[in-house]
Amino acid sequence: MIAILSSIVQFLVILLLAPLVGGVIKKIKAFSQKRKGAPVLQNYYDLLKLVRKESVVSETSSWIYKATPYIMFSTAAAAALLVPVTTLLPAEPFFGDIILLFYLLALGRFFMCLSALDTGSTFGGMGSSREAMISSLIEPSILVSVFTIGLISGSTSIYQMMYSMRTIGNPLFHPVFILTFLAMLIITLAETSRIPVDDPATHLELTMVHEAMLLEYSGRHLALMEYGAAIKQLILITLIVNLFLPMDQLIPFSGAGAVLLGIIFYVIKVAFVAIIIAIAEVSTVKFRFFSIPNLAALSFILSFLGFLQYFVLGR
Amino acid sequence: MNLFAPDHLLYSSLGFYLAAAIAAIIFYKHPRFCTLFAQSGCILASLLGTFSAIRLLHSGKELVLEPFYSTIPNLSISMTIDALSAFFILLLSILTFCVSIYSIGYISHYHGKRNVSVFHFLYATFILSMIFVFTADNAVFFFMAWELMAVISYFLVVFESEQEETRQAGLIYIVMTHLGTAFLMIAFMLMFYYTKSFDLYGSSESIPEKARNLMFVFFLIGFATKAGVIPLHIWLPYAHPAAPGNISALMSGIMIKTAVYGLLRFVLLYLGIETPWWGIVILIIGMCSALIGVLYAFIEQNIKKLLAYSSIENMGIIFIGMGISFLAFSKGSGWVGALALTASLLHCFNHTLFKGGLFLGVGSIHYATHTKNMEELGGLIKKMPVTAVFFLGSALSISAIVPFNGFIGEWLTYQSIFASITSGNAALNMTYIIAVAVLAMSGALAAACFIKLFGISFLGLPRSEHASHAKEVPLLMNIGTGILVSLCLIFGLFPLIPIKLLDHVILSATGHTVAGQLQGGFLTAFYPLDISGIGNTISPLLIFVLVALLIGLALMVLRLVGGVYQERKYGTWDCGFRSLNSRMQYSGTAFSKPIKIVFKIFFKSSRDLRMQGDSPYHPEEMEYTITTESVFEKYVYVPLLIWATELSKKLKFMIQTGSVHTYLLYIFVAVLVLMLYNRIG
Repeated sequence: MIAILSSIVQFLVILLLAPLVGGVIKKIKAFSQKRKGAPVLQNYYDLLKLVRKESVVSETSSWIYKATPYIMFSTAAAAALLVPVTTLLPAEPFFGDIILLFYLLALGRFFMCLSALDTGSTFGGMGSSREAMISSLIEPSILVSVFTIGLISGSTSIYQMMYSMRTIGNPLFHPVFILTFLAMLIITLAETSRIPVDDPATHLELTMVHEAMLLEYSGRHLALMEYGAAIKQLILITLIVNLFLPMDQLIPFSGAGAVLLGIIFYVIKVAFVAIIIAIAEVSTVKFRFFSIPNLAALSFILSFLGFLQYFVLGR
Repeated sequence: MNLFAPDHLLYSSLGFYLAAAIAAIIFYKHPRFCTLFAQSGCILASLLGTFSAIRLLHSGKELVLEPFYSTIPNLSISMTIDALSAFFILLLSILTFCVSIYSIGYISHYHGKRNVSVFHFLYATFILSMIFVFTADNAVFFFMAWELMAVISYFLVVFESEQEETRQAGLIYIVMTHLGTAFLMIAFMLMFYYTKSFDLYGSSESIPEKARNLMFVFFLIGFATKAGVIPLHIWLPYAHPAAPGNISALMSGIMIKTAVYGLLRFVLLYLGIETPWWGIVILIIGMCSALIGVLYAFIEQNIKKLLAYSSIENMGIIFIGMGISFLAFSKGSGWVGALALTASLLHCFNHTLFKGGLFLGVGSIHYATHTKNMEELGGLIKKMPVTAVFFLGSALSISAIVPFNGFIGEWLTYQSIFASITSGNAALNMTYIIAVAVLAMSGALAAACFIKLFGISFLGLPRSEHASHAKEVPLLMNIGTGILVSLCLIFGLFPLIPIKLLDHVILSATGHTVAGQLQGGFLTAFYPLDISGIGNTISPLLIFVLVALLIGLALMVLRLVGGVYQERKYGTWDCGFRSLNSRMQYSGTAFSKPIKIVFKIFFKSSRDLRMQGDSPYHPEEMEYTITTESVFEKYVYVPLLIWATELSKKLKFMIQTGSVHTYLLYIFVAVLVLMLYNRIG
């Protein structure tokens, strides 16, 4: 029972925090461009406004188009239930398998790509085709990174992985974790459609990927799609921060206060990664589309070298 | 006497298949009756076969049948059904059941145009021959059944023989399959030479080490040809599209699995795994097939060819699981081997279900639109809503998306690799992690491939007259597909059902029980899969319930916050031109273009752009052709063929001179040599 309650608490933390991450990144970007920028909470206002608006639905589309926002949101939210925010709270043993997590997110992506083709628009097909390429090129590096960490901690359960990373000490002093950390960072950029893979700020441009798929959506459908994407982004960031920057072991006491402190630590770590992403976004440009395979290859090589370092050369 | 004993059920199942074949011939003048009787016979027979197989799998007993006994050695029809055979009979029977229901509707469009009685006769005997392959207990009978299966399937492939392409496909198929058979024959001869017996269940102890390795290579080539794994795959993308829809479903769903059965029966159970390189070879073949197969599938515009290449990919995944299990057995880690074997066989089962469903679905598309070209389809979801739902289900399942069975097989394969990686053997660990990467990439590409297949054919605007005039197919066809898809979902939500059915197979083959260890975790009622040795668990049903609950929650919150849902129907955004038409949609070719560019080494694609008009900037007419080559055909098979033709042309004047005298001399010399050999030996 406590385990169920604790996963609901963590689920709510991710759900509430998700739109904020995008807001923070936007604010930092604005700051670097000497602009004032939109308020940090702007994403919440946008979502609220979108929910109240009517939805325009394409005449060409079928039920796939209308079902997709709900599937997209609920798979991302269900994935949020699988990811612990802090290891201080207990977790269901069968809840969070990391392979399951990525395949669950794939369900949302599958429908998103279909919905883009459903309206018969050229933009949609373009986005869908590109997303299919990016996701299939980045997938090997995801699984290899996940396997490396999973093998070191002896499990593919997300909770177990995070828990055993706590005991290792500072993971960023081990070469294997440095390499996998970098690989995971590239994965996060690619999976959440950020620069240099895709530019979240573009709209109605020929270079867009994620936006091209959402182009036809409006009203509450769009709100669900955007919210789902935000949750997915925070899930990936959560994986990074709790695997590579474990801080729960620093808390000397236990009880409700420790959990609260754990969540505060978590928020700080997420903010830290958000800053890294923002810096990456301001300091690079969007890659040419056919340079993305190089980036994916880089990510794969990093994760592969990480594996080799630990399992072939020995620790 | 127990009427429902497995042997009675199986006997009556065989009887009904035979009756169906005979009925097909008797009623040849009345195509309607012919279809009805023959297919109902097959439905009944497959139902009986299913029950008998399930009973056998539950009890784990071995069954010996001898319906026909002759005093000539090795010519009796003697069948032994152990757990492995029963498992494959189960696959065959479930698929036959659905395909036969489908066929009653599907074959009706041949009525009056073609002699369907021949078709039904071949259909029933084809299934019979596969049952014999799965149950034969001596190599001679196995070989006969194997050949029978090959020849009958050839006739079924060339059923629409007035088309040049079909005849060509049939030729490639029959040549390739006999190439495989030749290797099998040598292996069987070696087997008899060393053991003096054709008994498949006998002991192989008297075979020396070198001969074992040789036999393994011959078995591998022989069966891999049937499996259609790369590089022996070239017949598959021709034969599957040429055959009628229901036959493709049977061929891809179960016939290519006879290779898996053969490898397990002859290599794992008969020879026994002793050296690790057998596993490594199978693993590498599996990896190549998985990746290259799906790449070829992704760029294909012919919907049936796409599925054929995807079969190559899935056979690759099955081979990966098999390779890992063979490797584990050779190193003595039985439990890991058992887990990998479970993964491999489960994927076999799953592939039978979803690929059967997909081929039937594509058959329905062809039935309704008379085209197999994706670029002429589109918008079918509105014309054929039921077909679309079932097709989507199978597509999700083959893409290993969560609540469907495809994911379970892939997850178990990952877990068996996870369990195999132990720090120690550096080279092997590297192979394993590459296998992980290959599995991941082929999984993602398969998803992309089926997004393309479903998205281009069923969504958007119709791209041709065929597609815009399509109508929903007859109910029976949808029932057949529907059963397969529902099984995909059920086995995805309750993965322990098929795994428990598999348990006796694994137990008898490896001595380890996997199902017991997979069951556990917190909520047993939710059927989580739990690998106790490692502590990795998933519960697909729970995830399914969660997603459903969250959809409900989202609807509720949206209603509370945003009020009543308001919707306005409007045209798709057309950048203000107000004349969006179906030709402006993304085509299948365009969809797969990025991947084609990234992996251009496998495709050797070339394009040809012709423009007509005064200025290159304002062409009046444009013609754009893009061609891709099958690298294997061009660089391996065609040179081989040319070399063989040249060689036989040269030899024609040396050996086959055409003169009777020379031939008589050959006979004389041969007799002389044999006599000499006998004197000395």
